[in-house]
Amino acid sequence: MINNFKVNSNEIDKFKKISKQEKEFRIKNLNLFNKNGFPNNKSEDWKFSDLRDIVSKNFKKLDVQIINSKSKNTTLIKNFDHNFLVLINGNLSSSNFDFEEKNKIKIKNFYNDNFSDINKYNPLIHLNHALSDTGYSLEIADNYKFKKTLVIYNIFTKELNENILNSRNKIQIGKNSELHTIDLVVNESKNKFMNNVYENVILKENAIYKNICIQNEKSDGFFHKFSKNTLSSKSKYSSFIFPSGLKFNKLDLEFNLEGEGSECNLQAASLLNKNDHQEIKTRINHLVPNCKSYQIVKNVLNTESKGVYQGKIFVKDIAQKTDAYQLSKALLLNDNSEFNSKPELEIYADDVKCSHGSTSGSIDETSIYYLMSRGLNREESVRLLVSGFLNEIIEMIKSNSIKKFVQKKIEEQIHGN
Amino acid sequence: MLEIKNLKASINSRDIIKGLDITIKPGELHAIMGPNGSGKSTLANVLSGKNGYHISGVIQYKGKNLIEIPVDERAQKGIFLAFQYPTEIPGVNTNNFLKTSLNKVRKSKGEKELDTLTFLKIVKEKSAELGIDEKILSRQLNVGFSGGEKKKNEILQMKILDPSFMILDETDSGLDIDALKTIANGVNSSRDKKKSFLVITHYQRLLNYIKPDFVHVLSDGKIVKSGGMELAVELEKTGYKKIK
Repeated sequence: MINNFKVNSNEIDKFKKISKQEKEFRIKNLNLFNKNGFPNNKSEDWKFSDLRDIVSKNFKKLDVQIINSKSKNTTLIKNFDHNFLVLINGNLSSSNFDFEEKNKIKIKNFYNDNFSDINKYNPLIHLNHALSDTGYSLEIADNYKFKKTLVIYNIFTKELNENILNSRNKIQIGKNSELHTIDLVVNESKNKFMNNVYENVILKENAIYKNICIQNEKSDGFFHKFSKNTLSSKSKYSSFIFPSGLKFNKLDLEFNLEGEGSECNLQAASLLNKNDHQEIKTRINHLVPNCKSYQIVKNVLNTESKGVYQGKIFVKDIAQKTDAYQLSKALLLNDNSEFNSKPELEIYADDVKCSHGSTSGSIDETSIYYLMSRGLNREESVRLLVSGFLNEIIEMIKSNSIKKFVQKKIEEQIHGN
Repeated sequence: MLEIKNLKASINSRDIIKGLDITIKPGELHAIMGPNGSGKSTLANVLSGKNGYHISGVIQYKGKNLIEIPVDERAQKGIFLAFQYPTEIPGVNTNNFLKTSLNKVRKSKGEKELDTLTFLKIVKEKSAELGIDEKILSRQLNVGFSGGEKKKNEILQMKILDPSFMILDETDSGLDIDALKTIANGVNSSRDKKKSFLVITHYQRLLNYIKPDFVHVLSDGKIVKSGGMELAVELEKTGYKKIK
């Protein structure tokens, strides 16, 4: 139980059969979390998202116990063939790799073999490191290209009520291998709960990872995810994220371009509705020469929603010929909505190409007039403009069947289904 | 079809249209010419129902006063404005938009909504009739279109929506001779006894192809002279100064 934002140290005693090293790691992180509790807006990284305030206003208590929900029949996507993982409240409940060579894939339940990584900046990671015992670890062998997409169904069940889930996931893709995933959130919960995820993605030389993350079901979930991505030479990571509909959502994404010629692309499109609060925070570390990074983040903000984008590009002194791009665009549909954008460039090399841009504005009345002059009413015209605004991101998805699937999800959301 | 009486329009307390009368009967094509700043585009906007103007007078369309009716309802009642500067709308597929638009118009007439296949068949027919490459309709609405493509797209939309009163706001400006013929073809093939046009233009050139029934000169917010095609010919020779 978390009381007054402190975790009782006896929660650690509940983990049986763990090594001394793991126990120390958990205690160390627990103490780090307890030192300050949930972060508030005095911390620069949480300037626009005062989590302490949000938690205290929304939760009387937070139960850290694992919810053991039984596996139900998951409704699988029928639009395209795929492999899948089913996570129930963060816990790996089943996996299916029928389209693949199974000896190339290692899938395990929660697994942590790294007890040295102490992140100094984010209390939510400390909390996760102290308490996590659900999640999965997926390793792909060298020289193996997945034949079909892997869909990860993230199901949150009805049993959740003022719980906090802490899970830890790892994806490692071997040399010259390729994996495409879709993270799909399926929400069955009716109550408030927190979900705190730590994700570690490792791309070996020449590996390709493409991920699409779809969270667009309305939910009383409060989500935080820290994602640490490490890219070896010539590896490529492309991530599309379509998050929205959560009471609170913070995505803290860190990309470490450690190998020459590596490349990461981040494309995000969100429609935020009443009382949604969402922050996307990125840190791209260009650590070696000749790497590329590209970020485009688009937000549509409806009445009384709040959106945040904090994007940092760091270029180390030796990282010459870096090519980094960052753009944030926000469309505010109402005077009551709020968008905060904080682009940051920290560059120590002298031969680099770095650019950033940020725009936010209201709906264009000339466009509305044009659409209405063709018989659409105002509401339909706004919907069409919103869908067009977000569609620019969806159009970047190469696979047609997946593009259509995402388009349908977003359209449903725009039409308020 | 359309009867305008003592129409006045101002924006930000600036008077632009200062008492305009015009009557357009079914089947007629009226051309409006006039120097820059005389109120031509404002007239087009006011007729289509654009917000932001302070308006008085009467615009009687098929027996009903339009003044209080919003833009979308006017479009559904068969009023179409081909824009002087069609708006670029990123991310919106032209075909999808046009299908929504056509179905809105059909629904308001009590007609059945069309499915995608039937719609695409109509698009194919109409674009072939005009000699327009239908590929522009699978692109984002007006985005990256050349000036000529934008104007042709307006005329294609006009053909597909099949309105009864059409306003062309300088649709001929900036077009090469082939594009001009496409536009003229679009207008001529739409003309029948039940349909009317108001064509705003700076040049006699377009009128050579579409043969107006009446030509009016708009100056300082009023019609100062009306006549037939001979008036357009005269203007081309003498300019507007003598008429003022």
